[in-house]
Amino acid sequence: MNNNKHSHIIILEPSLIIAEGLVYLINKQSKSFEFSIINSLEKIDLITTRKKTELIIINPSYIQNNTKSFNNIKNDYHQIKWIGLIYAYFEQELLDKLDDIITISDTIEVIYGKINKLLNQENTCNKTNSPEILSDREIDVLKLLAVGLTNKEIADKLTISIHTVISHRKNISQKTGIKSVSGLTIYAVLQKIISTDSLSL
Amino acid sequence: MNSFSNTNYSPSIKLADLVEKNAHLLLLLEHFEINFPLNNKSILQICEEKNIDTNLFFVILSLYNTTDFVPNKPLSFNDIVPIVSFLKKSHHFYSKEMYPNILQSIKEMAQVNNYKEMSLVEKFFINYFNEVTEHLNYENEIVFPYVLSLHEKIAHPNATKQKTQYSVMEYKEHHNDIEEKLTDLKNLLINYLPEKNDQVIRRKLFFKLYKLEYDLTIHSKIEDLLLIPLVGRMEQSLKNEQQ
Repeated sequence: MNNNKHSHIIILEPSLIIAEGLVYLINKQSKSFEFSIINSLEKIDLITTRKKTELIIINPSYIQNNTKSFNNIKNDYHQIKWIGLIYAYFEQELLDKLDDIITISDTIEVIYGKINKLLNQENTCNKTNSPEILSDREIDVLKLLAVGLTNKEIADKLTISIHTVISHRKNISQKTGIKSVSGLTIYAVLQKIISTDSLSL
Repeated sequence: MNSFSNTNYSPSIKLADLVEKNAHLLLLLEHFEINFPLNNKSILQICEEKNIDTNLFFVILSLYNTTDFVPNKPLSFNDIVPIVSFLKKSHHFYSKEMYPNILQSIKEMAQVNNYKEMSLVEKFFINYFNEVTEHLNYENEIVFPYVLSLHEKIAHPNATKQKTQYSVMEYKEHHNDIEEKLTDLKNLLINYLPEKNDQVIRRKLFFKLYKLEYDLTIHSKIEDLLLIPLVGRMEQSLKNEQQ
């Protein structure tokens, strides 16, 4: 699931040449990012409230004497990924606070790859943490349930035991918060798991 | 609800003070046919006027005020009359006021959102409303008359004895969970149904659903924790008499 169409990236870098250069190179790879170049940690708050931010590329010198405010920002926006932009020496301890690092000698392919990897990581992480995502088998059961089949009929159709069907149903209800068959049918339509044409309502 | 966990009420408390702390008690008053103004009357005064045993009143009050309250004192057979009257009044409130009211909101929502999923929700609710009506009618027409007839038999043992086939166990089986679909509807609206400028209608609908859900939960508890055990004891007592 690589949908970076509206990904917003903040760049915290004192050198405008480097910051603009980075933007230029990334834009050459893909037009799917929006950038805000800023020059102080304090401005992160302002930018992120205006625009949902997925990634911050930061020159670690901004963190060096501001660890406390950096940690606060990191906690406040725990969904944001951090990439260090390195062209000077920094303590490993400081770099460990970041999700990844790039150096100015890296090729654009490497940089682009790292950005994408972090943005996708966030997506997959969301996916596994999201409680309402049904497994493929649960979706199979839900589809048959929604068109009006009984537990027994579903078991026969999927060649599984009736107990397995019941346990799938329990999990489906737990994940969706919906217990009745008619409620689950609407859920299935809304989630585009089935179309209204297949309904016998 | 947990803030009202004190279940040791004194009969001398002013009823109005309790209502002020928990607005859901307004429905308790209505179902007991206690009318405004309350004139600063104590619970004892009101119970005497309405011919309700204070113990029964406290039990139902505690069900309204405390989420996990479990009644521990057995009720008397005479309590069955006010319980049935309370339940009947709540049925009337559900079927004549609350459900039609919710249906109205859903129709309003369907007007704003004329996509097909919304018509499914409307259909869902209409079917559910029918099920509930059927269930409430069954209780009004079969269960309550039966329960009151038991009470009659106990109160007037010399009257002609009709043998009743019905038993409360049968009711227990028939007593399906009418709150389930209400929760489903709430979940569909909260989590899944796409929004099309219906925030205000939806919020109004939520308040109605929460109000109904709260009262229905207590209604079921009154049936499960008070009515069914009491009727069970009445049946047992009549059986012992016949032997």
